[in-house]
Amino acid sequence: MKNACSKKKTLEPLQQKPEATLNPFEEFRSFQFKREEIPLDQIVQTTEVVMNQIRLGYERLLEEEAKELVWMVQYNTIIKAYEVAEKYIKEIDYSAEDIEDFCFALENTQRIPYLIPGPAGIYISALCNYAKEEEIVLKLSELKTEINLVGFRLPKGKRLMVEGDTGDFTGIGLEGGELEVEGNAKNWTGAGMRSGKIRVKKNIGLHTGEWMMGGEIYVEGRVRGLGNIVEGKVYERDKLVYPGKVRYPNHYY
Amino acid sequence: MEEKELQALIEEIWPRLKRKHLYPEIPIPKVGKVSDSFDEENEKDDSAEVRVGLEMKGKQMTLNPLFLSSMKGKMAEDNLVEALLDHGITHYTFCPWDFHTHLMLYAEAKKVMGDKESAKQVANYFIDVIADTHCVKKRATEIPELHRNIKKGNVEAVIASLYQRIWGIDLGVAPSKKGEKGNEEVVRRLARIPYLDRSRWSESIRKFARSLKPLLLLEQKEQEARGGKGESNPQGEHDLNHYSYEEIDEGLRDYAQKTMGLSDFKEVVDDFSKELKEMGYGIEGGMGRGRGAPIDSDVLFYMKLAENYSIPLKKVPIEETGTLHPHSHSPWEIGSPFQDIDIWTSFGKIMPGITQVWKKKEGKGRGKIDGTPDCLIIIDSSGSMINPRKNLSYAVLGAACATNAYLRNDSKVAVYNFSDAPMGGRDVLDYTDKREEVYRVLCRYFGGGTALDLEDIMPLIKGRKELDLFIITDMKITNLETLIGFFGKIQNRVTAVHIGENPYASRFEKAVEKRKNINIFKVKKKEDIPHIVLGSIREYFNPVHKSR
Repeated sequence: MKNACSKKKTLEPLQQKPEATLNPFEEFRSFQFKREEIPLDQIVQTTEVVMNQIRLGYERLLEEEAKELVWMVQYNTIIKAYEVAEKYIKEIDYSAEDIEDFCFALENTQRIPYLIPGPAGIYISALCNYAKEEEIVLKLSELKTEINLVGFRLPKGKRLMVEGDTGDFTGIGLEGGELEVEGNAKNWTGAGMRSGKIRVKKNIGLHTGEWMMGGEIYVEGRVRGLGNIVEGKVYERDKLVYPGKVRYPNHYY
Repeated sequence: MEEKELQALIEEIWPRLKRKHLYPEIPIPKVGKVSDSFDEENEKDDSAEVRVGLEMKGKQMTLNPLFLSSMKGKMAEDNLVEALLDHGITHYTFCPWDFHTHLMLYAEAKKVMGDKESAKQVANYFIDVIADTHCVKKRATEIPELHRNIKKGNVEAVIASLYQRIWGIDLGVAPSKKGEKGNEEVVRRLARIPYLDRSRWSESIRKFARSLKPLLLLEQKEQEARGGKGESNPQGEHDLNHYSYEEIDEGLRDYAQKTMGLSDFKEVVDDFSKELKEMGYGIEGGMGRGRGAPIDSDVLFYMKLAENYSIPLKKVPIEETGTLHPHSHSPWEIGSPFQDIDIWTSFGKIMPGITQVWKKKEGKGRGKIDGTPDCLIIIDSSGSMINPRKNLSYAVLGAACATNAYLRNDSKVAVYNFSDAPMGGRDVLDYTDKREEVYRVLCRYFGGGTALDLEDIMPLIKGRKELDLFIITDMKITNLETLIGFFGKIQNRVTAVHIGENPYASRFEKAVEKRKNINIFKVKKKEDIPHIVLGSIREYFNPVHKSR
């Protein structure tokens, strides 16, 4: 140890004087690195927080309503799932854009465990119904999955526009709202709707307007089959097909 | 301001700019004429406003003096130059950074937009928003001032509104444009995108494209009605000129590996085929340089994908052959292969300027020297195999990796591609060192029955004392017994790769299990390919080891 110390001492005279030492990073001594907050940071952070809350609500809904990852579409399961969704959504402060982001997050993010079209549709409908905005546009054309039950119980004064196709049970139980689908809608569209309007840009499936109690359905393409309609109107390419004499429930056209 | 004065101004501010951007490896920008796509498409009108301020080719940035003059009175010249250069440098240092990222952004945009031109446009806007936002957040820059003063079309006005919102700086966007309901909604959507989060760029550009799509379609319609092309970007267009040949090569390699999808790769290469051809792709000789033959995107896909895998090749003692010996050093460049790097003189670093590679020279060998023989690749392209031009074929990828391994060692490769050979379903390529030719034959697909014709193979083997055989098939061969009999007779090193498991493969394995010159590998997934060892003779290293 002693030897090592003495050796170190003898090396000192050979070292360069401190004045002659050149700092290779000298140029950066006065460098001012600008790291300032811009509004984007705040927007992105807030969006992320809201998205996490929405995601958490959906996960809880699945935990409560789809324990076995199986969810049967029945009157009482839909009502119950909607009540659960309402409970979580009421606590979140979100905007219409958050709903669209959530739809894509359902497909793309690893953080959401599974997309079950039924509960996902109920949850999205609840999000739309409780959104602050009166008009909501969901650009879902690139979505690979068609979400069922979109527009469930859409209340009066709300307008929901969906770009892309929707799945089964679109706009069921509509409560006076206006639902526009810029694509196709599948079976049981408008089932049990009480009032309001559904406009489908392309074609619509079977059982359209089943147990419909009121309101109007406008289809710009073809109607594959009507359901047992109680009351209300269905138009196919501006032509009234219900009430009408020629059409029978669930007949293919 | 004259060009000379402008150049002097650039030289004056360039050291400060380099320092600000942490010394990027970019040459000093020049002043000169830049090409304007708008002027090229439409007949140039001298009275027309000069639109492009900056051009980037390779790593060279060029400023347009006419654009700078047109901005006179609106903005101080040094600030204008600084803003343009800040923007240009950020493309190299942050976004898109490399060609692979550019391709990825374009491919994602195309998924939403559907057509090539709109996808390119969206990718360009997205890249610009990221570059400018990064600059505004992290550097002291005059970019906001530039945006305040440049002429804006409909989309540019929306982007400027977006900047106002996400930067928190007033850019003086006219209230009439700002106040439009539709645009306001677009801006609100655009402002939620995490532009500076690189890991989310692919998801972000899709959202960006979705939000901007209606506006772009509207603008396209207006342009069609006017009968012209859209206005050029004052901050420069982002095309392949931006990248060097090596960067494009590397970008394609990375993209092929990342997507692992033939159709995605093919779509992107076909979209950029014109530009790639101009860069020299589509011609033999390491893909070569110069214009000419069309690009075979399938061949290019396997070529680039195979470059990501390196399979070992065991050498054999070869008599009196001129083999390559390390002779002198030369500097290593980005994109060059790693296998010849001399780690001792490179101080263990992979860095251009420091890393050195061995330059090899041919020497006369006396007696036996370790060398690599030529190789005959036998590939099955019958109906039971995947069509390599429709989906990723592990057989072609495996054969491509083997080709690379032999060609890298200065050996030649012959190919026997067969389906129902006795009925003419075969393609034979004689020994060659031309990679593209080999790949073209490997990618050929017959899709018929499976039968080998030994008479086709014999001329390729005859007279060659040292020759390796590489066969890749699913073993569902009608005359499998003939093949087994043939392998039973020859002494050459044989690497047999079978795709998947089936009774035929088991039969083959059992029949040749005692043959020490035959090694069998199974490929079920792409990760199995690097485990293939070409020409490995059992007991080559461990004579005691009996079983495989």
